[in-house]
Amino acid sequence: MSLKWRIAIILGLIVGSVWALFPRTVVERVTRNGQVLYDTVSRVPLKLGLDLQGGMYLALEVDESKGAVADKSKAIDNALKVVRNRIDEFGVSEPVVQKTGNDRIIVELPGIDDPRRAEDVVQKSAFLEFQITDKTQALEKAFPRIDAALKDAKVNVAAATPSAAKDTTSAGLQSLFTADTSKKADSTKKDTTAVAATAGGPGAFEKLLQQGQMPGEYYVAQSDVGTVTQYLALPQVAAALPPGKVIRWSSDTTSLGNRIYRRLYVLDAKPIITGEYLTDARPNTSPTEGNIVEFTMNNEGARRFRSETGRHVKDFMAIVLDQRVMGQPPVIQSAIGARGQITMGGKDLQAAQDLALVLRAGSLPVPLKVADVRQIGASLGRDSIHAGITAGVIAVALVVIIMLGYYRFSGALAVAGLALYILYTLAVLAGFSAVLTLPGLAGFVLSIGIAVDANVLIFERIREELAHGKTVRTAIDEGFRHAMSAIVDSNVSTALTAAVLYQYGTGPVRGFAVTLLAGIAASMVTAIFVVRTFYMIWLNRSREAQTTLSI
Amino acid sequence: MLRILHDTNYDFIRWWKVMAAITIAFILLGLGSLAIKPPNYSIEFTGGTLMQLEFTQPPDVGDLRSTLDKAGINGAEIQQFGTNKEFTVRVQNAAAVASQSKGAENISVTIENVLKKKYGDAVTVKRTEAVSARVGDEFKRGAIIAIALSFLITLVYLSIRFEWRFAAAAVFATSHDVFTTIAFLKLMHLEISLTVVAGLLTVLGYSLNDTIIIFDRVRENLRKGRKETLYETLNRSINETLPRSVLTHATTFAATLALLLFAGEVIRPFAWVMAFGIVTGTFSSIYVAAPVLLWIERKWPRKTSVRQSSSTATPTSRTTRSPATATR
Repeated sequence: MSLKWRIAIILGLIVGSVWALFPRTVVERVTRNGQVLYDTVSRVPLKLGLDLQGGMYLALEVDESKGAVADKSKAIDNALKVVRNRIDEFGVSEPVVQKTGNDRIIVELPGIDDPRRAEDVVQKSAFLEFQITDKTQALEKAFPRIDAALKDAKVNVAAATPSAAKDTTSAGLQSLFTADTSKKADSTKKDTTAVAATAGGPGAFEKLLQQGQMPGEYYVAQSDVGTVTQYLALPQVAAALPPGKVIRWSSDTTSLGNRIYRRLYVLDAKPIITGEYLTDARPNTSPTEGNIVEFTMNNEGARRFRSETGRHVKDFMAIVLDQRVMGQPPVIQSAIGARGQITMGGKDLQAAQDLALVLRAGSLPVPLKVADVRQIGASLGRDSIHAGITAGVIAVALVVIIMLGYYRFSGALAVAGLALYILYTLAVLAGFSAVLTLPGLAGFVLSIGIAVDANVLIFERIREELAHGKTVRTAIDEGFRHAMSAIVDSNVSTALTAAVLYQYGTGPVRGFAVTLLAGIAASMVTAIFVVRTFYMIWLNRSREAQTTLSI
Repeated sequence: MLRILHDTNYDFIRWWKVMAAITIAFILLGLGSLAIKPPNYSIEFTGGTLMQLEFTQPPDVGDLRSTLDKAGINGAEIQQFGTNKEFTVRVQNAAAVASQSKGAENISVTIENVLKKKYGDAVTVKRTEAVSARVGDEFKRGAIIAIALSFLITLVYLSIRFEWRFAAAAVFATSHDVFTTIAFLKLMHLEISLTVVAGLLTVLGYSLNDTIIIFDRVRENLRKGRKETLYETLNRSINETLPRSVLTHATTFAATLALLLFAGEVIRPFAWVMAFGIVTGTFSSIYVAAPVLLWIERKWPRKTSVRQSSSTATPTSRTTRSPATATR
């Protein structure tokens, strides 16, 4: 290949690399004041991993704690669509939602600042049901049976060994942590003592409930909520509950006088309609009821809703979201059509926005649980980038000093090659839109030290050839030729290792493997081709043959 | 021209017994300590919760601990992370991991809530990682497969490019590095995370490089058909590649040092592994790969080599000489 061609190729690579790395305008989705906007920004097209730009990574799995799921892969496929819809509306730039393996969804949300909210939006089942409150006083009628069941249960508790009793305590604690964060931990201790003290006495259950303002509504003091939940969870009690009815807690609390109560509802088990007919949901603020979500149903849903509500005029209709009654059930004045609203019960507008979002995106076909979560603050990401760049600059400086000090002029050629190496590697990363992670950045810094190995191999060979009394021109030719097999073999074996890492690594480690691969390719090109060309330029510089080489 | 260790003629392999004793002692020390206490796996492998906290004022660690204890978070490890305002909280005991089967985030949510209640805005959660046991198992399996597979692929590639004797010796030397690095991790109390496993694989690649450079020279010197034993050829090749080794190790170490000192706490374990890897990789290329190659040559003498050196030495004299002289 003639020198002109070599120079042209190198220049072409430089131009291509600079173009690949040139800051460009991209359209980004951002959320401002609760609205998703499109914004154009200009930036270097290097994709940063979540560990460098901050953000959140979630791995979701099917939650089978409430019943097994037969075809998990299919369930995940369906859930994937819903999660994707929700994330698309959530308003982060460049989110990733994908299925991995057979039964897992991966969600990556760069730059998210409220991880708890993101988790909620992703995980919320958003299963909406409209159920009529019970008018038959079914629960009151069941009180004697429930008390008897509690007595049974108490016998069991007494017969159990102390360690088993301890187990139930910790189970209660756990369910409290996982079930509802608004409950206080100290109420648990009271609960367990309450179970021991009062369970089984006549009217033990009835005592905890107070008749509410409408049929099927009861007030339970906030401090007793844990006890009642525990009672209802007992299998004996569950069997004693009125058939054809379900019992649901309210999502919010009511204060009467200076005591706080949570409402308990007895509802007809069969919902008059579910959220599957929903076509739209919008947050709004009403002067009388605070924040609300207005929803619209499709034709079929509207027809069904109209006929069902027509049959239940003067009844109270509970709007149940994920088994929690939203707000106070309104009385049905007349048949309702396609439109309705859900009151948020004093929750803020953001809660209404999020609820509208998940209702629009549809309900999750299966409950999901988080199997793996990583959340990195944006400031930590910035610190990592800063530290990585500092380390990189120092590494380059040290390597330059070593190469120049040892190889002088040839070292300078190697340093020029190193500069191109850095440019090419970054360009390859940008070109393949590979993700730069923190381990990737570390791998890149490390590779700066390793990249000159090929140069060192070649230079040492040239020195040997010169020592054998060859001319400068021959020594350079022979040096490159002889060093080739070692360079190729060592680089290929490293590349194979990197490929394995890519295949079996996750997130950050995968970024490391990609950087390693890009680095290997770039270092071979610069050491074998670019530096060789530099030598050729140097040899051609003057007519008379170069007799000495600074190496 | 500046030269380091040029035209040397050290008899490196002569010391292989001493070196073998040293490295075996080191590995046994590491493995023995592993037998007493299991290694420090990160939550990526065991499942669990890790949180990195930043306080505006240096907090009282005892206070922090009792706050977590009161919230029912038992067995939390609290460690200073860099400055005295940053701490990591790690919960990875079996009971905690089991409670994460319902949802990996529940412990981190509890921790965040109690900390916010106690410290208010004086504490910021900079990083949260929560991994369920199942995901941890998968990571563990992936790491083991990755290491095993990279060995296998390397063996195949080297067998194609060199021949099986070289490949086996190189892979043996690389396995040695796995053991010494694990011993190092254990003795340094470094946490074994995914990044550290990536570091381990990088060390393997680096060490393999080093072995390949020497073996490449051996291959070349064998082709020249000098009147010398394999023992001598190996020594010659190591000496000839010595300046390259010194230079490359120097530049790699420079980059590693920069990572160790400036790249921050998260990368530090990786940098330590790499720093040790430079040492063990160099060592194993000379004192493991070469003696093992000699041993393999004695057990399964090569035919081509016999033909090459047939003018100078009979197969029997060659095979009896090389390892014998090695131990002389």
